[in-house]
Amino acid sequence: METFNALLSGFDVALKPLNLLWGFIGVTLGTAVGVLPGVGPALTVAMLLPLTVKLDPTGALIMFAGIYYGAMFGGSTTTILLNTPGESASIATALEGNRMAKAGRAGPALATSAIGSFVAGSIATVLLTLLAPLVVDVALKFGPAEYFALMVFAFTTVAAVLGESTVRGLASLCIGLLLGLIGIDSQTGSPRFAFGVPELLDGVDVVVLAVGLFAVGEALYVAAYQSRLTETLERLSGSLMMSKDDWQRSWPAWLRGTALGFPFGSIPAGGAEIPTFLSYSTEKKLSKHPEEFGTGAIEGVAGPEAANNASATGTLVPLLTLGIPTSATAAILLGAFQNYGIQPGPLLFQSQADLVWGLIASLYVGNVILLVLNLPLIGIWVKVLQIPRDLLYAGILVFATLGAYSLHQSWIDLLTLYVFGLMGFAMRRWGIPVAPAVIGLILGPLAETQFRRALSISQGDASVFFTQPISATFLAVTALLIVVPWVVRRVRGAGR
Amino acid sequence: MRVRAPELALSLGVLALGTATAIATARLPGEGGYAGIGPNFMPGVVAAGLIACGLWLLYEVFTGGWRARPSDDPAERGDHAFHAPGFVWVTAGLGAHMALIGHAGFVIAGALLFAGVARGFGSSRIARDLALGSAIALVVFLFFVKFLNVNLPAGWLAPLLGSAGI
Repeated sequence: METFNALLSGFDVALKPLNLLWGFIGVTLGTAVGVLPGVGPALTVAMLLPLTVKLDPTGALIMFAGIYYGAMFGGSTTTILLNTPGESASIATALEGNRMAKAGRAGPALATSAIGSFVAGSIATVLLTLLAPLVVDVALKFGPAEYFALMVFAFTTVAAVLGESTVRGLASLCIGLLLGLIGIDSQTGSPRFAFGVPELLDGVDVVVLAVGLFAVGEALYVAAYQSRLTETLERLSGSLMMSKDDWQRSWPAWLRGTALGFPFGSIPAGGAEIPTFLSYSTEKKLSKHPEEFGTGAIEGVAGPEAANNASATGTLVPLLTLGIPTSATAAILLGAFQNYGIQPGPLLFQSQADLVWGLIASLYVGNVILLVLNLPLIGIWVKVLQIPRDLLYAGILVFATLGAYSLHQSWIDLLTLYVFGLMGFAMRRWGIPVAPAVIGLILGPLAETQFRRALSISQGDASVFFTQPISATFLAVTALLIVVPWVVRRVRGAGR
Repeated sequence: MRVRAPELALSLGVLALGTATAIATARLPGEGGYAGIGPNFMPGVVAAGLIACGLWLLYEVFTGGWRARPSDDPAERGDHAFHAPGFVWVTAGLGAHMALIGHAGFVIAGALLFAGVARGFGSSRIARDLALGSAIALVVFLFFVKFLNVNLPAGWLAPLLGSAGI
């Protein structure tokens, strides 16, 4: 009941005409930028961050929620019509969606993706509403030691467990952590690794890192390796309407996708790749038409898309209630919060209840706007896809550099941006994941603060992390996550 | 057994970064108040982490190469062979932009960046790209300066933009 009342007052905030307008603008911009090939949700959010500098926090964050959802939505359109998944979580959609489009069924593919995203997003938002206050209750009991242990858990899952290579994930994480150390130490005020450069004293901005890795790095990579690829944009012919059969095959897939996506998003284990692939293989197994998989099966679009969106919403649970980002996009959202001097976490639900619940309510509203906006306007987004690749990337870089430059009006930030671009290029070419670096940059300083706080309270006694039950549990699970797969591999290897 | 040069270079790079971090950490203050650890503790941990990752990566380089890495064959990755001019033109655009933005202003630097990147992506219509880049940069400039009140340099175009009442 308490939650219900909080949500109602949240709707009061979200439905204020001005906030509704920001939500609307966010959703539209998010879709428009998210639809651009090569621009995933993380980059969309990072590029649009500078636009909100002059807004009040509530309006800005509502706009951001819209951008986040819009970007997810726009990305699906691109994946289906162009077969260039903007992010790894869209690969499953590309498998079936693009084949449906090739077979002249682009309309139903887009429709099941849009409606599935709406259904998954709405259910996931309800789950977020119900779950967040529970997590907050638990999190209020957390001290610095528990937070630190939880962050170690998040680092480990994101860097070491989820990727293709543990060591490359850890290397990426360490680079992010190192970048996070640059600047003034928040506890003692002494500068670290700034080498007397004033621009570095402020620390490395998450927008510069994200835009460098995702926009500059991507542009360098595509220019070097893909600029002469010819892509075929599938035509959107025929009706958007789904047949009765399409509906019957879609709706169970939407629900199953949501059920897979939300938990994966909400435990600090990050990434929408796993649930989307799980959903894809589940649908393939359960389908009455398994032979259609690989040639355009509608369940193969409906399930993964729902999983992807549910997972994106699930990510907001640890982000809002614990202040822990578990994806690159969530890390950038956390950066946006910090720009406004807001630190997400359990206390935020008490100190700024209007803001948090306004944000959650705006997710419901944003979902509806998306559905209304996207299906009828699909023709416009298809036009966006027709922008020639050379002009598209040129435009993206003009915007990308703007965000970095407007921080200090300094070319040093542009140089930093380019260095991150080179890093992004190398990381993409040699298979080093970028998300751990972004998460390390933003979460590293928070983890350090909690670590030093915990030790201050215990007067320098490091055993505090292992004697507090919650903290010890998190650390034990983390250790298991690293050791068990390694042991399993060894045992299997020995058995051969 | 073949050692891949880029993997070797990147592994050594991570190792060097870790070593440099360790050296820089040694010069950081260490007094830590109640916690008993100071501003140099985390940098030390990160330096150790980077060195460990560097060594691990090196070990992989000499024992068959990085595990589960992207294919060296561009076609298998869905790419073309490395096309240096693309990389160079995008870099040139970004270089011109960062060198000129403080002097020539946002619009001129933006136009050059736009043209450079477009060239890198195979465009051969330089005049069109410069014109289009100028137009886009001008619209962005006006939007940020007039509407969002974000300060951007007008540079050499200041007299022109100034006399137009901007």
